[in-house]
Amino acid sequence: MTEYLDPTDSVAVPRKTAPRPSSLDGKVVTLLDISKAKGDHLLDRVEELLRARTGVATIVRKKKPTFARPAPGPLRQEILDASDVVIEALAD
Amino acid sequence: MPRKPSPRGGQSRNARSGARTPRRAVSNGSEPRRSGNGPPTSRPGQAAPAPTVALDPVEQLYARGLTDGLPVVPPTRERVQRALEELNRPADELIAEVPPNYGRATVEKIAINAVMAGCRPEYLPVVIAAVEAVCDEAFDLHGVSATTNSPAPLVIVNGPVRHALEINCGAGVFGPGWRANATIGRALRFVCVNLGGAVPGVVSMSTLAHPGRYTYCIGEREEASPWESLAVEHGFAPTDSTVALLAADAPLTVYDQRSRTAPDLCATIAASMAVIEHHKMTHWGDTLLVLSPEHAAIIAGDGWGKADVRRFLFERLQRPVRDLVPGRNGGDGLPEHVLRKFADPEHDVTLIPKFRKPEHIGIVVAGGSAGRFSAVVAGWSFSGGSNLVMRRIR
Repeated sequence: MTEYLDPTDSVAVPRKTAPRPSSLDGKVVTLLDISKAKGDHLLDRVEELLRARTGVATIVRKKKPTFARPAPGPLRQEILDASDVVIEALAD
Repeated sequence: MPRKPSPRGGQSRNARSGARTPRRAVSNGSEPRRSGNGPPTSRPGQAAPAPTVALDPVEQLYARGLTDGLPVVPPTRERVQRALEELNRPADELIAEVPPNYGRATVEKIAINAVMAGCRPEYLPVVIAAVEAVCDEAFDLHGVSATTNSPAPLVIVNGPVRHALEINCGAGVFGPGWRANATIGRALRFVCVNLGGAVPGVVSMSTLAHPGRYTYCIGEREEASPWESLAVEHGFAPTDSTVALLAADAPLTVYDQRSRTAPDLCATIAASMAVIEHHKMTHWGDTLLVLSPEHAAIIAGDGWGKADVRRFLFERLQRPVRDLVPGRNGGDGLPEHVLRKFADPEHDVTLIPKFRKPEHIGIVVAGGSAGRFSAVVAGWSFSGGSNLVMRRIR
């Protein structure tokens, strides 16, 4: 093959997802509402099911200021420090 | 005003471009195509070529998943070097990190993408300024590139560079036929995909997108405008060359042959503007009104300036709460947190504006001398979304 210069950034590598826990027993779960319409409806139901079906220790509810942008750094850090598991809701 | 170059205009500088093309017979397309075993970089719709065309440079770049569906110019070291020599900036200078994947857009990486898009070396400063603008936090490229909505970055060019590079500002301004418009917009798209990661259907999840995602670049026809240019309005000197970047929907043509006064014509424009995004959308942000020279002359003939147009449109584009409730002329409407402010929204006559401020209605003059057509170009600019961002071209 002819040699062409690379238009992509080969330094940027896909990030790996965090390891998944085998059980939610005793875990702190954060439910993150991204501020899409009806995201709270979806998360209300998720919270209900988590409480009924798992042994979660705590459920924390957080909300992004807007769905159009990444969560602000301090919010991400807060979630990272306090949670074992994060569930993010996309609704509409 | 910049005119369309001669049919051969802009072609001669790349006369060497065929030098590396292998002299191989090109497939007539009758061979069965391989499918499902493309290289790892393959993107949707870019299957590996049949073996007989595998050495064709254009096919190689298709096979690597590095095109927008149209052929690209192979980014050979020589071509990229030529672009960099003309620019005279360090190849490793970091211009921006491109959301959402935050690939590093160095001068060299931008040049590679610009070469692939078909840019002449002298277009590179415009492309670099456009990359700077879209990577400004205010533009929210992360959202623009990832949303299920349809925006594409629209490049609006002002200043002397329009003449120097033969950027079309006149007839068919949104259409094909001008190398600078076609390739500058396309180069920006390649940067967003190749460095930002906005691969359609993978990261860029737009339900419909629009053709402006191939390329979307216009010049303002300052010479036919009765008013100061977009750049001068934003504090730049008339001698500055600038880009303005808007996360933009497709242009919506506004036809009006018979209005002869500013209020008549602006009433027509307001009716088209009222439906952008959703007819009940409110508190919208940056949006562009592209007035044709004939329409601009009618409005200016009544002594109106841009501020008068904005004020008229802003005031006209307000609707009572009762017309904006969900379920009335469509299930969408005012969000719940707004509705809660009114005791009886079904009957409330409080006026809610379409735009957050009159200043969100940007106005430029562009297009051919003949024709009473203008265009509304909606921004992706709800509160918290994208904003118009401008940069001086260095």
